[in-house]
Amino acid sequence: MRRTMIAAAVAVSASLLAAGCSGSTTTTTTDNGTGSGTKEAGSTDKASHQQGGSLTIANVQGQTWTCQFNPFNPAVNSVALGFVYEPLVYVNLLQDQKETPMLASSYQWAADKKSIVFTVRSGVKWSDGQPFTAEDVAYTFDVMKRVPSTDLYSLWTGAGLKSVTAAGDKVTLTFGQAAGPYFFNFANQVGIVPKHVFSTGPAAEHPDTWADPKPVGTGPYTVDPCSANNIQYVANPGYWQPGKPYLSKLQYPAYLDNGPANLDLAGGKAQWGSQFIPNIAALYLNKSKENHTWSPPVTNVGIVPNLDPSRPATSKLAVRQAIALAIDRQRIALIGEGGQQPAANQTGIVVPTFQKYYDRAAVAAAGYDKPNPDKAKGLLAGLGYTEANPLKLTIITITGYTDWDASLAVVKQQLKPVGIDLTVSDLAQQTFDDRLYNGDFDLAYYGQAGGPTPYYELRQMLYSKNSAPIGKPASFNYGRYLDPEVDALFDQYPAADDAGQVDIVKKVGAAMLRDIPIIPTTESVNWFQYNTADIAGWPTESDPYAQPAAFNVPDVEQLLLHLYSKSAQK
Amino acid sequence: MRYVLRRLGFFVLTLWAALTLNFFIPRFMPGSPLQALRDRTHNRLSPAALEQMLTSYGFKPDENLFVQYLDYLRNMVTGRWGISIGATLGEPVTKVVGQALPWTLGLVGITTVLAFALGSLIGVVAGWRRGGRLDSLLPPVFVVTSALPYFWVGLLLILTFSVWTGGLLPSDFNYDSGLQPSLTPGFAANVLAHAVLPAATILITSIGGWILTMRNNMITTLAEDYVRMGRAKGLSNRRIMTTYAARNAMLPNLSGFAMSLGFVISGAILVEYVFNYPGLGYLLYNAVQNTDYPLMQALFMLFTVAVLVSVLVCDFATAWLDPRARAKG
Repeated sequence: MRRTMIAAAVAVSASLLAAGCSGSTTTTTTDNGTGSGTKEAGSTDKASHQQGGSLTIANVQGQTWTCQFNPFNPAVNSVALGFVYEPLVYVNLLQDQKETPMLASSYQWAADKKSIVFTVRSGVKWSDGQPFTAEDVAYTFDVMKRVPSTDLYSLWTGAGLKSVTAAGDKVTLTFGQAAGPYFFNFANQVGIVPKHVFSTGPAAEHPDTWADPKPVGTGPYTVDPCSANNIQYVANPGYWQPGKPYLSKLQYPAYLDNGPANLDLAGGKAQWGSQFIPNIAALYLNKSKENHTWSPPVTNVGIVPNLDPSRPATSKLAVRQAIALAIDRQRIALIGEGGQQPAANQTGIVVPTFQKYYDRAAVAAAGYDKPNPDKAKGLLAGLGYTEANPLKLTIITITGYTDWDASLAVVKQQLKPVGIDLTVSDLAQQTFDDRLYNGDFDLAYYGQAGGPTPYYELRQMLYSKNSAPIGKPASFNYGRYLDPEVDALFDQYPAADDAGQVDIVKKVGAAMLRDIPIIPTTESVNWFQYNTADIAGWPTESDPYAQPAAFNVPDVEQLLLHLYSKSAQK
Repeated sequence: MRYVLRRLGFFVLTLWAALTLNFFIPRFMPGSPLQALRDRTHNRLSPAALEQMLTSYGFKPDENLFVQYLDYLRNMVTGRWGISIGATLGEPVTKVVGQALPWTLGLVGITTVLAFALGSLIGVVAGWRRGGRLDSLLPPVFVVTSALPYFWVGLLLILTFSVWTGGLLPSDFNYDSGLQPSLTPGFAANVLAHAVLPAATILITSIGGWILTMRNNMITTLAEDYVRMGRAKGLSNRRIMTTYAARNAMLPNLSGFAMSLGFVISGAILVEYVFNYPGLGYLLYNAVQNTDYPLMQALFMLFTVAVLVSVLVCDFATAWLDPRARAKG
């Protein structure tokens, strides 16, 4: 029932980026924290609104709050990061990796991208009054080295982080290899913790399991108070951006299920929604003219064929091509997802989010720009299958994901006339995982997490080092796609310049069209509903300043720095 | 005395068997806490770090199962229930359970008692005036409502009393999320308002059973000679109904009531879900979903003990009330 959260997970498994980064050199340097040099909207803006008002967040967690705020604990970091703890730099994947300097006022990569120097922001104070320094940054990364369970992005083991040193207001991270793609993780997703708190008592002994019930952070809010039912955040009066945040209070109730949360959203009791609302026009948008929705696509959902030779049908290219040609993605999106997710394309590059990596002409040339059931029929007829004598295939999916079931019903219907008899097998989540990871399936319906460029999602799915023999759990490449050329493209990416990276992603897109290792159907979105009766400053399609759903860390902070109460402006 | 000892022995044996099953069955189910955690974090974090994280919280994937079993038995008895490794990762199980227990006891406990009391009362009156207006109306109606699914009744009530009436009664949580728990009349009123709809749901769906059994017992009892004797003596109708008929008709229902009290603690999962009510039922559901061994074990143990204790109490009460049970037992 809580599948909405899966659909929107956007980040990357750093562990898997691990091995392949080569040590080649590059001449690209980013000269300062603002990257392109454009003026940053958001965090470094002057305050332009009055403070006051309050906001209620409806983001279904399916549990009551534990009132722990340790950012190293993956179960609670979505209520700690962005609210209380801040990253060094915020990277917005909706705006082509546009950067907003947070605790680091600027940074400088070495030419070979094997080391990076951050200049920490001056004048920032922890919420207990102590000054924030470069030592805090270095200590945060040292904790991850000392206690491996806190190294959630495998920076020390996978990314090849060798040392982190602080000197003055500078922090230097040194890597054993080009580490460009990890910037998203270490600069954007790691919340910096106060050394003076985390180096004493139980926090120092067990930084991974320490509860951190009264978090001391640099972020715009502090926790006061927290109960199992609700977390109340109050504005941090000493926040380093004067006059911000505008909203003086946030309520974050612990919703156990989508039903109650969606009701509260429809009635305006909660103003910031982050889950799937079925039949959203009738159940939400029509309830009030102040109710709005905008859910940007970030990753793919699709059919994962098993490419291992032990699967005679799905390892045949013609069969996969037939499936990719037969399905009408627009109809799947419309009927299966109620039009709330856009149709995907065969390159696996999410548009419009990653438009500049998308080669529309190539898709058309390969014949995947629109459904072509006749060609699919021909391909299957060549293998001896017809509607009367169909190829029998089973697709596994997760029980309770009702929109996926609806999508697969459409797929089944579309495959029947071309000569494929599809059986949909609903499995309990963990049984599904077992079979998916170990390669025990013909077809699986699944979506991966992504990252700030299509490279992250595609690499997870297609890189051979993310695969494993049948019967052994693969980390991400569940279809068992093995192609040395594609591997080489992924290996070149970290050291390539911007144009080179776009080119590499386009080439991987071409491989998706050539080999059909995955058949994307719809694009999963960041579910977002918002009410404008009192709260303004929301991100919109024309101003996508952050991923809008409340579970995105650290994107949530960007919203908190933009939102204000209209009634408090008088 | 021998009877009591034998009952106690049976209690301990059943408890041990249940605890053993509680330990082994979850471990033979597909999945593991690590896999559940990877799913919850959308497979985006390092599996190695997550496994170490779980290990720091007391998860021992590699330890001998039998050693773990002995530890588990000892910990169950001594109350060291460990730390949750599921959705409430890092929270001591005693605290998680302690937060949910009062709400379940309050909501489900009170409604169970109410359903029994109201149901029995209606049953007595209906049975007494057999074929009367009350008898032809209430029992059939409530037999129908008790066959309705919990969640459906809940949704209907939410629609009627919350959505269509513009939030007349709250439809979720156990109190307004902006409030802080305190011992004030205002807070108590808020808690009560939030309990109305879930309580009504449980009442509507559970009262029918009590009415029907009580009414039927009543009719059987009314045919007894001692009731006719009472009438012949010229006793008031009221006295015959309450002290002669109802008192005896109630006995079989009492043991059923004792049993149902034992089930109070396991909550009402669907009601708790529909109303976002943070009780034990949803906690169990979540624990199973996330393969949270420590939490699952503690909850299953609590449920087992509660049912066993109420059965035991019921046995003793019967033995005390009815000498025949003692002799036979």
